[in-house]
Amino acid sequence: MEDFLEKMAELFEEDTVQLTDTIVDFDAWDSLTSLSIIAYSGEEFQKTITVSQIVEAKTIGGLYELLKSN
Amino acid sequence: MYNPISLAGKKYIVTGASSGIGKATSLLLSKLGATIILIDLNDKGLSETAESCLNETKILVVDLLDSADLKAKIVNVVSEIGKINGFIHLAGRPYLSPLKSLNEKVLLDVLKINSIAGLELAKICSNKSVFSGESGAFIFISSVYGCVGSAANVGYAMSKSALHGITKSLAIELAPKGIRVNCIAPGFVKTNMLDSISGSFSSEYDEVINKLHPLGLGDAEDIANSIAFLVSDMAKWITGSIINVDGGFTAQ
Repeated sequence: MEDFLEKMAELFEEDTVQLTDTIVDFDAWDSLTSLSIIAYSGEEFQKTITVSQIVEAKTIGGLYELLKSN
Repeated sequence: MYNPISLAGKKYIVTGASSGIGKATSLLLSKLGATIILIDLNDKGLSETAESCLNETKILVVDLLDSADLKAKIVNVVSEIGKINGFIHLAGRPYLSPLKSLNEKVLLDVLKINSIAGLELAKICSNKSVFSGESGAFIFISSVYGCVGSAANVGYAMSKSALHGITKSLAIELAPKGIRVNCIAPGFVKTNMLDSISGSFSSEYDEVINKLHPLGLGDAEDIANSIAFLVSDMAKWITGSIINVDGGFTAQ
């Protein structure tokens, strides 16, 4: 979880992120960041996700649940 | 009958032969009379390609990251069927990642498969114990993204543009041996690899990609046709060339 939060902070270009933060509210939320999350998901969680799934996850916590789910 | 593109009696290695452009190329070169050594990791796909080929084939299941195994298996098959005329390095993997999520390990794997494995093949196939000594033709497969920029593609672009330098350097180095070295830079072709990439995007992505190609998306056979020409003696004065086969993508 700690590594995940650290990675999300890096991708969203923030000092830290919280599980309750809304994904689309980050200043750095754009198509390239969504692709970065997709790449990270494949490499670290062996999971293929789409941009719309990221948006539907709504929060950083929701995204974590999405990546951890089977 | 006059057939200047006949490949009768020729032998070529095709990497990435289990699907997509690799499969289409194997089928076409075989139809033109060549013996094909099919290389891939996917043995089921290789068997399917072999069954569809009209001429003799040999199957080599090889991980291109293992250059020692690659060399041993090629040397072994050459001892069975005789020396070869060249190869087409079609195996490759995409790497869709913006700069900020680049992963060094993945990046190195992409570079190893897309670029360095091609160099290893050239090293093995130019050796006189493997190369037949006549009508030598090595073909690398780049991409439009080896020629022009695209966001979130820097790792893939690096691996493909590396092939352009390799092509030109080896064209000079191997000319005295009678080996021509060329590279094809395809646009987007309807294959499983394209499906896997476009799955990461919205449905509008397909429309954007289509608009980049004045002639529409390509078929695997469009690339195979240009490969057949380049390996044939019709292209005997062409070496060190990067040929765009992209439906007009890079004309814009």
